[in-house]
Amino acid sequence: MKGSNLGEFEELILLTVASLDMEAYAVSVKNELELRAKRKTTISAIHSSLYRLEDKGYLVSAFGGATSKRGGKKKRCFQVTNAGFAVLQEAKNLREKYWASIPQLTFASS
Amino acid sequence: MGIWLIEVLISEELVEEVLGDLEEIFQDRVKNSGVVKARAHYFLDAILSARNHNLRRPKKITQNNTVPMIRNYIKTIFRTLAKNRVYSALNILGLALGLSACLFIVQYVNYEYSYDKFHSNHENLYRVRYQILRGEEIQVDCAAAVPRVGPFMKETMPEVVDFARAFPMEAVFARNNIQYREKRVQIVDPSFLKIFDYPLIHGDAASALVEPNKLVITESIAKKYFGETDVVGERIQLLTSFAQPLEITGVTKDVPENSHLKYNFLVSFETINQRTIDEETGNSYSETSWDWYDFNTYVLLKEGTDPAYFNQKFTEVLYEERKEEYERSSATEAFPLQPITDIHLYSNLLQESEPQEQGDGDTVFFLSMIAAFILIIAWINYINLSTAKSLERAKEVGVRKSMGAYKRQLIYQFLIESFVLNFLALVIALGLVILLTPIFSELADAPLSRAFFLKPEFWLAIVGILALGSVLSGLYPAFLLSSFRPIQILKGKLTTNKSGIFLRRFLVVFQFAASVTLIAGTIIVYRQLNHMKKSDLGFEMTDTMVIRGPHPNDSTFAQRFKSFKEELNGKSTVRLTSSSSNVPGEEIFWTRGMRKQEETRESNFIVYLVSVDYDYFDAYQIDIVSGRNYDRLLTTDTANLLINEAAVAALGINSPQEAIGQKVKYGGNNRTIIGVVSNYHQLSLKNNINPLIFPLDESSADFITAKLNASDYQAIYEDIKASYHNFFPGAPFETFFLDEFYNRQYVNENHFSRTFTLFALFAIFVACLGLFGLTSFSALQRTKEIGIRKVLGAGVSQIVIILSKEFLILVGVANVIAWPLIYLIMNNWLDNFTSRIAIGIPVFIVSAMLVLIIAIIAVGYKTLTISRTNPVNALRYE
Repeated sequence: MKGSNLGEFEELILLTVASLDMEAYAVSVKNELELRAKRKTTISAIHSSLYRLEDKGYLVSAFGGATSKRGGKKKRCFQVTNAGFAVLQEAKNLREKYWASIPQLTFASS
Repeated sequence: MGIWLIEVLISEELVEEVLGDLEEIFQDRVKNSGVVKARAHYFLDAILSARNHNLRRPKKITQNNTVPMIRNYIKTIFRTLAKNRVYSALNILGLALGLSACLFIVQYVNYEYSYDKFHSNHENLYRVRYQILRGEEIQVDCAAAVPRVGPFMKETMPEVVDFARAFPMEAVFARNNIQYREKRVQIVDPSFLKIFDYPLIHGDAASALVEPNKLVITESIAKKYFGETDVVGERIQLLTSFAQPLEITGVTKDVPENSHLKYNFLVSFETINQRTIDEETGNSYSETSWDWYDFNTYVLLKEGTDPAYFNQKFTEVLYEERKEEYERSSATEAFPLQPITDIHLYSNLLQESEPQEQGDGDTVFFLSMIAAFILIIAWINYINLSTAKSLERAKEVGVRKSMGAYKRQLIYQFLIESFVLNFLALVIALGLVILLTPIFSELADAPLSRAFFLKPEFWLAIVGILALGSVLSGLYPAFLLSSFRPIQILKGKLTTNKSGIFLRRFLVVFQFAASVTLIAGTIIVYRQLNHMKKSDLGFEMTDTMVIRGPHPNDSTFAQRFKSFKEELNGKSTVRLTSSSSNVPGEEIFWTRGMRKQEETRESNFIVYLVSVDYDYFDAYQIDIVSGRNYDRLLTTDTANLLINEAAVAALGINSPQEAIGQKVKYGGNNRTIIGVVSNYHQLSLKNNINPLIFPLDESSADFITAKLNASDYQAIYEDIKASYHNFFPGAPFETFFLDEFYNRQYVNENHFSRTFTLFALFAIFVACLGLFGLTSFSALQRTKEIGIRKVLGAGVSQIVIILSKEFLILVGVANVIAWPLIYLIMNNWLDNFTSRIAIGIPVFIVSAMLVLIIAIIAVGYKTLTISRTNPVNALRYE
């Protein structure tokens, strides 16, 4: 693990889980991502990120109820941990610091 | 399909939720874009899930310290080896011996199968056999065919690419007045050098043998006569058969040992053609004859020709050509083809090219079986000993396990151990084989060379054996040892594995059964050999020196020959001399058809001829059963004939007495039978006794038999040699003693017996190792019991008996199993001999006793040490 830095996709997922509150599982995260970030992803990509984030300690999971739509299979619902919030916060702070250090809001192209 | 993929790809923990997720998306998609697309997507997702293959897998054993662990294993192996020197030595030695025995056999078998494979055409080269049939019965089955058949086949059969004939003979050659008697002289067609791979080092193969009186010799012959190899253009004088100087037109490499057709001299076929010209027709008899079967004929067929089909087709063609002759003689001929690669191992016909070298395919096959068998026994033994030893390693296993070793690691450890031991054994075995190859080569009478070890196939086989051996012999101990439960082991309790004991018992019984079989086999082979050497052959061969006769070279020869015999007879050391065309122990090539004079050609049968002088039967002390011997005083005896009892029977005469006075016809000769001699064994007891007739011919000078009085052979030899050179200056003087000469027919049996003995020794050794292992094992297990028995007052002898009893029973069982086996196998073997011994009960008893004694020694050592130990030591560890 390269420090506690989040990748861009990881950050998005973490944010999505946070925003979905108690209803965050792979399919809902995928749908949410499509909706908000206009990102088309495959379910397998979501799976790997979710489980990796859990391994890193940024997410915890619990089994949610099964629905008939799922063929009676359990689903794993994720929640952001304190560490997860901390690392999100850190990322946000970092960006804000950078934003703050940009001298004026003029851009070379304009 | 998708579900199955997921189940394979995703770890067990996650599989359900992932499937659930997929299912949910699938349902959504069915709604939005239809079943087909949804299914395709599902499948795609499933495939893409491969990226999550490693997710949440149970942690694998990641041996980051593989190298140190292996180092540790090896260290442990050598420590255990060193701790138990005797045991380790026995174990490795047993394995090494097994491997080397196996390697020797493989080497030998490989050599036997390599015969005639060096010819690049070997797959399409055939020898033409010659058979004379009367109805269904094959009367003559001969390796050499008639000279006409080769050319005839080529003319009539489009499948024949080429043919070559080889007429074998012995001859005397001379250069600068030094004479040499030479064997392996072949008169051959020019194509001989073309269809066979006998490369010339000097001269031109295509033209070397085209003209008459040309000669091609081998390198070593060139060196013998000229001291150098480039001798093309030189001349050698041929003295026998047709005295003629021959011009050397080529020198070939020496014939490889693994060729069934060996030569030192090749004489051009035209040479013989010129001497057999029929004056009326102008054709050579050696080209046109359909009767003279002395020509080994080889044909090269087109690639892919089926010999069976060819034989069938040729039979028809032949019948067309020869049917008049068949009707006249009421006999037919057949010329079946025989692949040349089969000749060495599977052919046993009349007039084989190298009858003394003839191999035996069955024996070779049998030996390869034995090789596999030995290897398996050696491995089994390793398994046996290591499992027996496993108890001592149990503590180590316990400690390793409680330190966190996985079962898999322990299995690795023991497999590596088995690999190391197998490797050590292999190194020793290779050393042994390389060291002993010359000795074994002599024993097996095959020129095995160390060059065999340089072949890549050999090393491939070695690596294969090593790998297979390590796994096979290591697997059982590895699983057994690694399955021990650490707590129980460390507590000192050992679970006795019932199946393990059964397995070991089975192995011991198996090994001892093999040993008993081999011992009994050795005894029987030895006794049969003795029987053959000792049994009454019908003639006397002690103190008999035979001189190969000089060749007749001029008109004074007959007189000189007679004088020579008289001079020999005059010597005080010589009791009697006789000259003949043949002596006992020498195969007879001289045959004729014979019948009673009043009968017709149909009743002809084949007789073998030995022309003799007046003293032949006296010299060999061959009994005359009825009638009388030839008499010097009766000049009319040249019209009379002596025959043996087998010939009497073949003539259809009931008794030797009735035969006297009967008139017979053989070849073109009419004779009256005046005497019948007993069926003495002209050839070894392996052969049937053929009908023999003994025409009187005082001038037949092929062999001179001298019965000696004294025993100072060296002086007699010198004395006779001097007389010989006196009468026949320059002629080579060659002699042999008849007993030696006769017994060389048993060379194969002697080898067989020696090989048997060797394997018997090996089997016993290995079996003892197994028994030793088993005893140690069971003694260890019963340490406590023995301790208690001793405390309660049992004596050493009682304990030895208790411990040995079990094994002696096993050995007994092995004996019982082995007996029918011995009987079957050996009876079969003995059936090869016309005169054979019966398998008596003593053989079984002796071999059983022998094995029992050896077993007792093997068991005794261990049991004695155990029963002598202080009971305190045995009981203290509780």
